[in-house]
Amino acid sequence: MSGVVSPTPLRHRKPLPSRTPAYTEINQEDDQVEFSNPRNRSTVEQVLEKDRASMAMAAFLTVAAFALRFYKINHPDQVVFDEVHFGKFASYYITRQYYFDVHPPLAKMLFGLAGWFVGYDGHFLFENIGESYTENHVPYVGMRALPAFLSSLTVPIVFAIMKECGYSTIIAAFSASIVLFDNAHVAQGRLILLDAILIFFMSLTLYSYIRFRKLRYVEYSPEWWGWLLATGTFMACTWASKVNGILTVVAIGIPVLVDLWDILDHKKGHSMEYFWQHFLARAMGLIVLPIIFYLMVFYVHLSILTNTGPGDTFMSPAFQETLRGNELLLNSQEIRYYDTVTVRHKDTRVFLHSHPERYPLKYDDGRISSQGQQVTGYGHDDSNNHWQIVPTKALPETGRGRIVRHDDVVQFLHVNTQSLLLTHDVASPLMPTNQEFTTWPKDDHSRYNDTLFYMRLVDAHEGEAWKSKSGHFKLIHVPTKVAMWTHLKTLPEWAFSQQEINGNKNSHEKSNIWFVDDIVGEQTDEDAASRTNVAPKEPKKMNFFKKFAELQLLMLQHNAGLTASHPYASGPFNWPFLISGISFWTENNDQKQIYLIGNVIGWWTCIVGISTYVGILGADLLGRRRAMEPLPEPVRNRLWNSAGFFLVVWAVHYFPFYLMGRQLFIHHYLPSHLASALVAGSLLSFVLSETINYPISVRGPSMSRVKQRTYADVGLKGPIIVALFALMMLGMFIYMAPLTYGTPGLDGNSVNSKRLLSSWTLHFAAKASDA
Amino acid sequence: MRPPQVSLHIGTPEVSPRTSSEFEEVQYPFTDGFHRSPGSRRNEELPLHYMGEDTARRRVPRGPSGNDNFRQRLGSAGTEEYEMYDHEGKDVYSKMKDMRSPLGSGRLRRPPPPPPTTVSEFLQQNLEHIPPIVYTLLSCWTRFHKIGHSNTVVWDEAHFGKFGSFYLKRQFYFDVHPPLGKMLVALTGLLAGYDGQYDFASGSTYPDSVPYVAMRVMMATFGVAMVPLAWYTAVELGMSSRACHLVTLMVLCDVAWLCISRFILLDSMLLFFTFTTVFCLTKFHNQQYQPFSFDWWLWLSFTGASIGCVTSIKWVGLFVTALVGLYTIEDLWEKFGDLRMSVRDQARHWGARIGCLIVLPVVLYMAFFKIHFMILNHSGPDDAKMSSLFQANLIGNDFAHNPLGQPHSVSAAPISDVVPEIAIGSKITLKNMGWAGGLLHSHVQTYPVGSNQQQVTCYHYKDENNDWIILPKWDEPSYDAAAPIRFLSDGDTIRLSHVSTRRNLHSHLIPAPVSKLNNEVSGYGDDKVGDFHDYWVVEVVDDLRRGSKSHVDKIHSLTTRLRLRHHATGCYLRAANAILPQWGFKQIEVSCDKDNNPGDVHTYWNVETHTNERLPPGDHKLYRTSFIRDFWHLNVAMMTTNNALVPDPDKEDVLASKPSDWPWMTLGLRMCGWGPTQTKYYLLGTPIVWWGGTLSLFVGVAVLALYLMRIQRKYVDMEAREWDHFLYVSKVAMLGWLLHYVPFLIMGRVTYVHHYLPTLYFSVLMAAHLLDHFFFTTRRLSERTKWIVFGSAAFAVVASFWWFSGVAFGIDGPINDHWGLRWRSSWNIYDD
Repeated sequence: MSGVVSPTPLRHRKPLPSRTPAYTEINQEDDQVEFSNPRNRSTVEQVLEKDRASMAMAAFLTVAAFALRFYKINHPDQVVFDEVHFGKFASYYITRQYYFDVHPPLAKMLFGLAGWFVGYDGHFLFENIGESYTENHVPYVGMRALPAFLSSLTVPIVFAIMKECGYSTIIAAFSASIVLFDNAHVAQGRLILLDAILIFFMSLTLYSYIRFRKLRYVEYSPEWWGWLLATGTFMACTWASKVNGILTVVAIGIPVLVDLWDILDHKKGHSMEYFWQHFLARAMGLIVLPIIFYLMVFYVHLSILTNTGPGDTFMSPAFQETLRGNELLLNSQEIRYYDTVTVRHKDTRVFLHSHPERYPLKYDDGRISSQGQQVTGYGHDDSNNHWQIVPTKALPETGRGRIVRHDDVVQFLHVNTQSLLLTHDVASPLMPTNQEFTTWPKDDHSRYNDTLFYMRLVDAHEGEAWKSKSGHFKLIHVPTKVAMWTHLKTLPEWAFSQQEINGNKNSHEKSNIWFVDDIVGEQTDEDAASRTNVAPKEPKKMNFFKKFAELQLLMLQHNAGLTASHPYASGPFNWPFLISGISFWTENNDQKQIYLIGNVIGWWTCIVGISTYVGILGADLLGRRRAMEPLPEPVRNRLWNSAGFFLVVWAVHYFPFYLMGRQLFIHHYLPSHLASALVAGSLLSFVLSETINYPISVRGPSMSRVKQRTYADVGLKGPIIVALFALMMLGMFIYMAPLTYGTPGLDGNSVNSKRLLSSWTLHFAAKASDA
Repeated sequence: MRPPQVSLHIGTPEVSPRTSSEFEEVQYPFTDGFHRSPGSRRNEELPLHYMGEDTARRRVPRGPSGNDNFRQRLGSAGTEEYEMYDHEGKDVYSKMKDMRSPLGSGRLRRPPPPPPTTVSEFLQQNLEHIPPIVYTLLSCWTRFHKIGHSNTVVWDEAHFGKFGSFYLKRQFYFDVHPPLGKMLVALTGLLAGYDGQYDFASGSTYPDSVPYVAMRVMMATFGVAMVPLAWYTAVELGMSSRACHLVTLMVLCDVAWLCISRFILLDSMLLFFTFTTVFCLTKFHNQQYQPFSFDWWLWLSFTGASIGCVTSIKWVGLFVTALVGLYTIEDLWEKFGDLRMSVRDQARHWGARIGCLIVLPVVLYMAFFKIHFMILNHSGPDDAKMSSLFQANLIGNDFAHNPLGQPHSVSAAPISDVVPEIAIGSKITLKNMGWAGGLLHSHVQTYPVGSNQQQVTCYHYKDENNDWIILPKWDEPSYDAAAPIRFLSDGDTIRLSHVSTRRNLHSHLIPAPVSKLNNEVSGYGDDKVGDFHDYWVVEVVDDLRRGSKSHVDKIHSLTTRLRLRHHATGCYLRAANAILPQWGFKQIEVSCDKDNNPGDVHTYWNVETHTNERLPPGDHKLYRTSFIRDFWHLNVAMMTTNNALVPDPDKEDVLASKPSDWPWMTLGLRMCGWGPTQTKYYLLGTPIVWWGGTLSLFVGVAVLALYLMRIQRKYVDMEAREWDHFLYVSKVAMLGWLLHYVPFLIMGRVTYVHHYLPTLYFSVLMAAHLLDHFFFTTRRLSERTKWIVFGSAAFAVVASFWWFSGVAFGIDGPINDHWGLRWRSSWNIYDD
């Protein structure tokens, strides 16, 4: 056992300028010599540490990964889980139809690309889980091959990360095997889902950053720049693949800041100029470059999707008019006074509607109404949706003076009942805080003031003309300042369960927005000729940055809005312990199912590893606080810096989910799981070897003093432990494989036996009473 | 693992390096009389013998480099670096705080001055108490001025006044806040002679019988006390006198604090105890060099007591508790690293904290609940929130008369042997044993989804629709009132029939509406129609009185915990925290859990009311409830109710605001009706105070970052000790603010602008701290400049207070006649 203790005062007594930051001096004791001779290691270790052995190991892992991920990749030939979304999006790229999604587009573009390569024409819409690919002639295998390919490559990258961090080959293989044999990674990786791509880019980012960090003594060398820019690029790829990728940016950002903080340290003897150079280099590589890349991805995205599609309605009218074939582009017309129009609510898509029936005098809760004519929101086309716009000012006979403009005061005449829209200080049927909307006979001028409304266009300039479709507006009541508003609650039977419309006192809300759906009624020929433009209009241009900003904002809003409950959503606390999975796909005939669940052995090993690691750090902190140094300095440094980095990656990819209100699934933990595999490997090395491989950083001119090399030795026990572990992992993987690959079908009892935790909600489980 | 190499080779040199706790031994000399306040005898304490003055000033390296490391560098790098240091450090020394106040920051204590013999001597000795007294008088004026002007129930007076009444009537009620605040409200009512008979309907006019002015005055007294507390806290934080004045002025002149203090609300007490907690903490901090002295114990235990009180007002108090917790952890971490402290002292330090800051507050908190239960011993409106056993002990509740297990004729046995038992044919209500569980309920409305059969829910209020009758299975002879009575025991299969609709409790393999993985539970059939899906197996879990299952032969009302297993599908009747949509009246969903989780209390039920004419009534003595259980139950119920206060997406609540609105005061809050004849109160802060405070937080972060970077570059801006103090005050302000703000961002419940009021205090401290640091205590500025800065800051605060004071004192007449109050377009103060 090592007796290496570095007395504390040493740290202070050293001469300050230009010394190696990494490790302080190690006492030259006898056993130190032993560690510094590579031939003193056990034979197995010597063999395994040879480059060729390491390559062979990597190759073996890669082949195994490909085998596991590509096995029966054509099964099931049906739409599985979120393939519904991402397959559909790929189709849209091929048909170039505009769609909207909360995730950035890179991964989906890659799917589109993969589909295009295998000759898919984008005709299939992936509407429901379980729809057949073969019947619809979708070359789905080619599309699934992309994530499977990247997911397979993730395994050797994990191996390489560990190797580059200076761990033994066998330790690296240990970490890689946790990912290799993981049912969740495999299940997620062989379907048209974003996560495999995200994880691939994330692991590449880590790898590049580690390579970059190892070059810190040869700063500004071409390799140094190369790996810095690679880190930035892969970081941007991660972020552009899925919105969670932003966490990877944070995970890299933290060690970069720590690094810069060290450079800033006066004891290192660097000048401020030196610091600023480093700062700027990193800002360039890790901020500017990724942002440019991210923008480029969106630029490509918007350049491809130039046709109208299902995503139109999310966007602003100005944006929509840039899409070819968009309804707004084709049908948007200026509205003139005395036009008869149908008005629709932007969010809930109902028409402003009225009918002769009246509000009941008394509601169930005892409140009293005005007993006026009902004004409701109605979902279907109907002549009771027709309203005429009545001016409140003198109009010219012809010309553009008849056009309704922003901020005009108007009246709305209900055509069928010849009554004017009105609101007043009477509580609405459902909400005592809001005003009731009703109508008032056209000829009765006693309530004239209450029938006046400002027509305020959204984001409009003075005098802007009001257009159908694109002219989003709020209707603000002149005397009481309430805005016409509706919500999804429906009125009782007396109003035919139509939607309530009422006056919202908070006129600033976004849900107050309406638009004119169509101009109806008799139009003179001259009007029709001047208005109806039959020739297909050219899409308008819009600045890319404006488009990008709008899209980005919408993505953020909608991501936060994904709060609907889902039977397989789970809280972050469940994830590391693998308490619940997700049912991806089922087939009743053969009792087949795909259930996303990790490899219990691997996941529990990881979480035990993380807990132990944190415990060791805590003990070390406490011990050093009491001036006890149980760990040799180099070992401790490796433990803190290398495994510490992995722990940061794990924590950054995990804890933010606790703060998110949106629905969460266990596959959100997969990036963290990969990081936890790295921590587990690091910890295993700490347990098995008394020392570390040192140095691992590339020597350079700014490294003033070279210290004694040391070599880690996990001995013979290392390979044995790892081999046993890998066998157990493989065994468990195979045992759970029917749930991962969705084949073969299982009878009730074998489903029960695969249900290792009672919280897993597998299908086709046998009844307890049957057993 | 390796054996720890306990090489206690500490190598501590005799003189250096220093640890922080050693500093009290090194007193830095005062160079002139400038710093000395009248009566200061500080220079007598100076350990001038320790080293020459010159050495003390120049040669002892201080700060993070204050060890032999630095000396070596001096030695090797020659004089040039030394010169540089000297140049940098010159200004540092002049920044020593003036020790104006004897309450200063933790130096050696002076012996007390001789008792005063003349009035002028008395005044001179207590000169520093004059300003706080003046400010207190001013705050009395602001808090009490026109306090009874509005004779209507303003805003949440409707709640807290009502809760206070319940104490006077001694009826049990339920609320999401702990009881201390409301008990104090009741106390004010009691002192003012209020009889508790008024219902505090929102917006109504107080009748003559309610002494609302007296009650408001007593509540406002807590608000008055905030002002002197702020002064002394600033003093304890070592601020200069100008900064102390500024802190006090800001506390005095904030209209939001003023406004919220003037009504029968909990906020004035919450603020008061938040202020006392910070005050006690700073006071305790300044005792750190006299551990275990009387004052040390005093302030430590006061801190604990204050934590207990603030948490017993509202759970928001936990945030200031967290501040104290973090301070303590850091403090103990320092002590832990002090190798020269004996283990015994370490243990004493830890023990003292655990005793005073954990045990004492918890005991206080529980004591308030104990008092709460002791006062509220009558049945009230919210009984059903509590366990059946608790309810049985309330006066006016008839559960205790639930029938006993023997028919009338044989009930000669002693009462303690006779136990209430359930029989076939009994009419019962079933209460879920999950914390804050409701009663099994059904009503004629049907599910709009799934089977479309009659809804079965869990409901918190007593209602005829909660009644069920226990009936035998379909294939057994139907219940006969004349047949021998058949008691229910473990394992019996029964049918439960809903009394008012005759439907049977039913379940089938249809997913429940919300918890889709569970089966639906519905009401099906009637007296004649039904099937084997109506059968439920009674499984006894245990009995609260008799212990484990083996001791329970029969089912006893109130005390027996049982589960109901669906006979056909094997699932368990469960009611958890899933809420049905509007069609289910937002009641709690009842479903049938396919998984058998024996530990899941949401599948536990007990019989609450039990009527059976053939059995004799029971007695109170049979039902003892345990305080700890009730205490825990009530707290969990408060927690779940609190979490259920989520904003309703369908309903736009004009009163609610988001945390992001608060620091820049985007929204105000109308506290009452807005008609032209009403007196209107608008909850709005003094803009200068709110905006200045928020701005100072950003500046504070930037300044801290800058200083840290400069330290990393070995610039010496401050002497080590001064830096420690700067950091300490910044940490109190910054962490305090973050701890009071960030949780609101995370929590899902609906938030109002008054939630920011405790938070505001820390931004005020930060503002004063920064002004103090950059203007009032620096030597670079002349006295004149300092006066100008102070004067303009004070003027801005007072003037904007004056401008807005109306919103707190009450605005009469049409609001739009009052010009110039809408500084931001988002304030809805005007009608438009």
